[in-house]
Amino acid sequence: MSRAREARAARRAAQFAKFRVTELNLVPLVDTLVSIVFFAITTQTVGELSQVMPGVNLPSSIVGIAAHDQLTLGISSSTIMLGEQTVMGTGQAAAAQSNMPDQPLVIPPLYAVLKNKADSIRRANDIPQGQSVTTPLAIQGDREMPYVLMSRMIQTARVAGFNTLTLQVNKTEVPAALAGM
Amino acid sequence: MTAHGGLNLVPLVDILTSIVFFSVATYSGAALAALTSFDLSLPPVVVTQTEAQARSPERLLNLLLAVRIAPDGLRVEHSEGLNQPIAGLSDSTFIRLEALMRQVRADFPQNNDVLVIPSDEVSYDNVVRVLERLRVVGYSGIALGSRAREAAR
Repeated sequence: MSRAREARAARRAAQFAKFRVTELNLVPLVDTLVSIVFFAITTQTVGELSQVMPGVNLPSSIVGIAAHDQLTLGISSSTIMLGEQTVMGTGQAAAAQSNMPDQPLVIPPLYAVLKNKADSIRRANDIPQGQSVTTPLAIQGDREMPYVLMSRMIQTARVAGFNTLTLQVNKTEVPAALAGM
Repeated sequence: MTAHGGLNLVPLVDILTSIVFFSVATYSGAALAALTSFDLSLPPVVVTQTEAQARSPERLLNLLLAVRIAPDGLRVEHSEGLNQPIAGLSDSTFIRLEALMRQVRADFPQNNDVLVIPSDEVSYDNVVRVLERLRVVGYSGIALGSRAREAAR
C-alpha cells in the first residue's frame, strides 16, 4: 500500500472516530415504560372498583348491577363510617334517639355528617338548599345487623338529602344448580 | 470468550422493589372485591286524583305489590287480592318466593315495582336474599320500606 493511501485511510479513520455513535443504554427506558404500563393498568382496573369498608361483612348476591366507586356509608358491627371518616359507634347509633318530631328514625350525629356532605355537594353543583342531591350514596351493611338499623340509615340519608341510594353487596358466582335455569 | 448483549436487570429489580414498597405503604386495609349493587327506589306514595291525571299513563301505579319479611317467614301481597304466606326463612322459602313472584310477574307483566317491608328484627342478610330473588325474576323498581312508627313527641 502506498504511503499516500495509508495517509488517506488514516484521515478517514480519524473522521469516522469523530462521529462515532456512542452506545445507547435502553435498559432504564424499558424499565420506566414497564412501571408506567403497570401503574396505568392498575389504576384503570382498581380505580373503578368499589372498596369494601374495613370490618364490614357484606351479604352476597348472584345478581345486581356493577358497583362503582362512590361515596360509601359503611356499617360494621362496631363502627359507622362515611368514606374514610368514622362517624360513630354502631351501638351508639342503634341507641340514638331522633331529635326530629316527624322523623323518628333519624340518627342525629349521622344526619349532621351526611347533611354537611350533601351541602358541600350542593354548593359544588349549584343545587338549591332543600333540593335532593343526585350524587348516589352507597351503603355497605354488615350481614348480621338487624334491619331496623339499616332502615334508620336509609331514612337518615334521605332526610339529609341523598335520594339516590344503592345497597352494595358481594357478588358471588351463579351456583351450578341455578346456572341451567 | 466475552459476553455479548448482556441484559442489566438491576434497574428493573430496583423499580419493582419500589413498586412493592409503595404498594405496601399505601395499603389502607380496605379489601377489593367484585361488588354488586341494588338501586333503591323511593317507596310508593299516595297521590291525589289531580296528581294522578298529570302523570303519564306508564308512570301510574297499576299494582301495589309488597313482600313482607318477618322472622318466621314471608308474605306476598298485592292490591288485586293476593295474600300468600311462605313459612320460614330457609333456602326453600326463597325458592318458593321466586316461583310465586314469577307467577305474579306473568299475571301483571306491566308492573316492575315491588315494595319490600322487612320487620325490624330481620337480619339484613335475609333482606338481601329477598332483593336478589326479586331481581332474578325481573323486578327493577325495588323499594325498601319499614313499618309505620309513632312520631316522637
